[in-house]
Amino acid sequence: MSENRHKFSRYDSAKFRNTFGILIWVVTISMSFLVARMWYLQVIKGNELRHQSENNRIRIHESKAIRGIIKDMWGDVIVENQPSFDISIVPGAVRNVGDVVSALEAVYGSRGMEFKRDISASEKSRPFIPLKLAKNVSWQELALVETHSLNLPGVVVDVVPVRKYLGGEMTAHILGYVGEVSQEDLRGDKAGLFKPGDRVGKSGIEKYLDSYLRGENGGEYIEVNAIGRKVKTLKKVDPVPGNNVILTIDAGLQKAAWEAMQGKTGSVVAMDPRDGSVRAMVSSPAFDPNLFNKGISIEDWKKLSSDPLRPMENKAIQGQYPAGSTYKIITAAAALGEGLITPETTFNCSGSFHLGNHEFKCWQKKGHGRMNLHRAIVQSCDVYFYNLGKLVGVDKLAEYARAFGLGVPTGITLPSEKGGLIPTKEWKLKRTGQPWQPGETISISIGQGFVSVTPLQLLNAYCALANGGTVHVPRLIQRVEALDGQVLQEFGLQIRAVVPLSKECMDIIKKGLWGVCNESGGTGWALRRPEADVAGKTGTAQVIGQRGRWEGVKSYSMPWKWRDHALFVCFAPVQNPEIAVAVVVEHAGHGGSAAAPVARKVIDAYFRIKAAHQKKIKGEKSEV
Amino acid sequence: MKFDRRLLFNFDWSFLLIVLVICAIGLLNMYSAGFNVLSAKAGSFYIRQSLWFLIGLVFMGLGFSLDYRDVIRYAYVVYGVSIVLLVAVFFAGEVTRGTQRWLALGGFTFQPSELMKLTIVLVMTRYFTVHEREGKYGFKDLAAPFLLVLVPFMLILKQPDLGTALILLILFVSIILFIGVQWKTIFITAAAGTLLMPFSWFFLKDYQKERLLTFIDPQGDPLGSGYHILQSIIAVGSGGFFGKGFLKGTQSQLRFLPEHQTDFIFSVFAEEWGFIGSLVLMILFLALVVWGLRIAKQSRDLVGTLLAYGITMLIFWEVLINIGMVVGFLPVVGIPLPFMSYGGSSMVVLMAGMGLLMSISMRRFILQP
Repeated sequence: MSENRHKFSRYDSAKFRNTFGILIWVVTISMSFLVARMWYLQVIKGNELRHQSENNRIRIHESKAIRGIIKDMWGDVIVENQPSFDISIVPGAVRNVGDVVSALEAVYGSRGMEFKRDISASEKSRPFIPLKLAKNVSWQELALVETHSLNLPGVVVDVVPVRKYLGGEMTAHILGYVGEVSQEDLRGDKAGLFKPGDRVGKSGIEKYLDSYLRGENGGEYIEVNAIGRKVKTLKKVDPVPGNNVILTIDAGLQKAAWEAMQGKTGSVVAMDPRDGSVRAMVSSPAFDPNLFNKGISIEDWKKLSSDPLRPMENKAIQGQYPAGSTYKIITAAAALGEGLITPETTFNCSGSFHLGNHEFKCWQKKGHGRMNLHRAIVQSCDVYFYNLGKLVGVDKLAEYARAFGLGVPTGITLPSEKGGLIPTKEWKLKRTGQPWQPGETISISIGQGFVSVTPLQLLNAYCALANGGTVHVPRLIQRVEALDGQVLQEFGLQIRAVVPLSKECMDIIKKGLWGVCNESGGTGWALRRPEADVAGKTGTAQVIGQRGRWEGVKSYSMPWKWRDHALFVCFAPVQNPEIAVAVVVEHAGHGGSAAAPVARKVIDAYFRIKAAHQKKIKGEKSEV
Repeated sequence: MKFDRRLLFNFDWSFLLIVLVICAIGLLNMYSAGFNVLSAKAGSFYIRQSLWFLIGLVFMGLGFSLDYRDVIRYAYVVYGVSIVLLVAVFFAGEVTRGTQRWLALGGFTFQPSELMKLTIVLVMTRYFTVHEREGKYGFKDLAAPFLLVLVPFMLILKQPDLGTALILLILFVSIILFIGVQWKTIFITAAAGTLLMPFSWFFLKDYQKERLLTFIDPQGDPLGSGYHILQSIIAVGSGGFFGKGFLKGTQSQLRFLPEHQTDFIFSVFAEEWGFIGSLVLMILFLALVVWGLRIAKQSRDLVGTLLAYGITMLIFWEVLINIGMVVGFLPVVGIPLPFMSYGGSSMVVLMAGMGLLMSISMRRFILQP
């Protein structure tokens, strides 16, 4: 003890004086580093980190807008929405996603459901955006998640409205389908309308009217704590539902057309010639747009895209076919319009027609004998029209074809419409470098050779004939209405052109078309109704290039893909036409036997539906 | 012991004020850290911490009432008791999250490793005053004190508690550098240390390796081990210049911050009080440390100088390492922030240490040779 005291007394504090001087500096400088770091984090990067902390705590529970409803011309709903339940996880709300997924799988236990476990790097960088684990779960499965929610932190259930196409495949090509917004759409989206994961119209009306149908998504801004538990609602924005669309389609007629095409490949289009309203448009085979609702599976997509019958294609506007004999009205119109023939001008059909060294056959090998225009249309005599074609010439034929709206897209409000092809001398020279051969005009005069048309174009041309010469832009949409019924946009009648042909000339052709269906020897006898009111034309379009090889071989014994396409176009009633129908059945042989019966069913259905509606209206009136 | 009126006259009121202000900030912050947003009620943390603070005040009073020279005389006894407690942790310690650090003592828990931090300062003071020499210390002179540190170092490392173990080592190094070590010894130790560094990797636990890797690249696994440090940086930074306000720190209130009552308590404070608040707190800590060094410097004997220096360095290193970790400067190691982090052991031990500092300060004029 005394020893210690002695030592203390010798203590010389000066020994440490320098050390303390250094120490003060060391301490001050090292703490200044911490303060500098705080300055960096809190002042320089403060806003950025504040934003990150907001992202941490604020979760946007998006409520998707309900897409607008689509109705047919009678106001019957053909597309509506139904709720679907998705299970998602917010990875940022949990320490280990795998643990929660395991817990979820344990909840499902015997159901043997498996969920996604791996999180991609990009998903990690946005840990507070929910990840979809399962889409479209059932009510029972939903209930399981709800009851175990305490054990499932970060797991959220979203109610997503999905499209329900009541007609399924029946209306697939008109309505199109909806799918997740694509990367290109997102890049091109300057206005910021879309977010990844949003669903947009991908084809058909869904695509064309997407901006009307889409509505505006709303959402709840909720504050959550670290385990994803809701603390409070900060803000709530109600979604704005999309607007409703009323089409010109008659769902009943559409159904009849669809049923008539069952088992056949091709398309049917029905139109009101008075204003160009499309009443039915069927392309067969079709796809089920409901498959796309929750994202189509890879197998389903492969099946659809590799099908040789091209179910995704809308054959009514994208299928391009030789017009065949249905083109004869153009040839007749050109010959009459140019004054090269009178209705009484006759030509003799011996079964074939000679030009130079070429022989062009009539479908009737034994020949039709001497014919005037009327009989030539009724019996679809090829030789008669070969003669007309030779008189008119290819460029005049093209002029009339274009006047009827052929060779260019009709302008219908559907995406990806094709334009067909109406050849001229100039076109051939430009395209192939070869001069026009006179024999080619002969083929063109019966709708073969280079001529190609879409079923809709063909129908539109016949409608122009039926209504006395007005070429409309086909109408598919009547109007877009807000939820309260206020009309946002009216899609009225649109006239594209008037055919420069006298009424007399048209009446002559129309009378011929009436004969096709009602006179003996007519090729369209399938359309002979007791009312005797249908006028129409058959067509048998040869598949290009196979003519020589399969000469004289019966259609049904040829390989399917080389068989002729069967066409039929008609309108009724012949005096005041209010419905026109075009049918193309691919590789089905003769128009009269394969396509006309389909048209008959549609025509019959049209008048049946019309009668039913008139009765209903009368009933309603008498009740009042 | 006869009471000397000069003791009261020389009482270090400024130092007491600094300590009390930091403690007050600590308790206020603990109220916020323990606040439950869902029930909108203050948790029990700040009540318990206040209790510990009061107990700490008693120990502080004990610290300045005693003559620090008498305390140092019993340094080896304190050391022996501390070692026994550390060993007891192995047999009777409570296991929490894979580590065994706490002893249950009649209703409350006690962390002997916290006590060991102060004990090391006491025992080093004792050793180097008894074995005081004129020149600098070499290997031979340092072997015995090193052994005194090595035993608790290994015991604490085994718990495992890397942070506290490292603090002991850092304190040891701070003290020997202060009293003077031969250059030769420093060089050889530094060279050997550098060579052995890579091998030490193999002695680290997996979670410790992970923390080191996370420190190097916190973005590497933002939801795994990087989660803590990232959330802490977000909390500190989101406070901005003026802070989000008391009880308004979303990172801590909504529990995005891990360990927000203990090791990451500073994030809670920085988020709610911003750069201004953080700066004030840092200035207070700096004042505490500088004042402590001044006490060490003004002491009339080596015991007082060494003891005051050692305790001050304990505060300094804990502040530097804890805040360095919270702001992403240093890897995550479990070291509490003095007077701010939740925990009774740390609070009581540090308050006792503050008492000793005050004891040295108030006796600087009345030292009797």
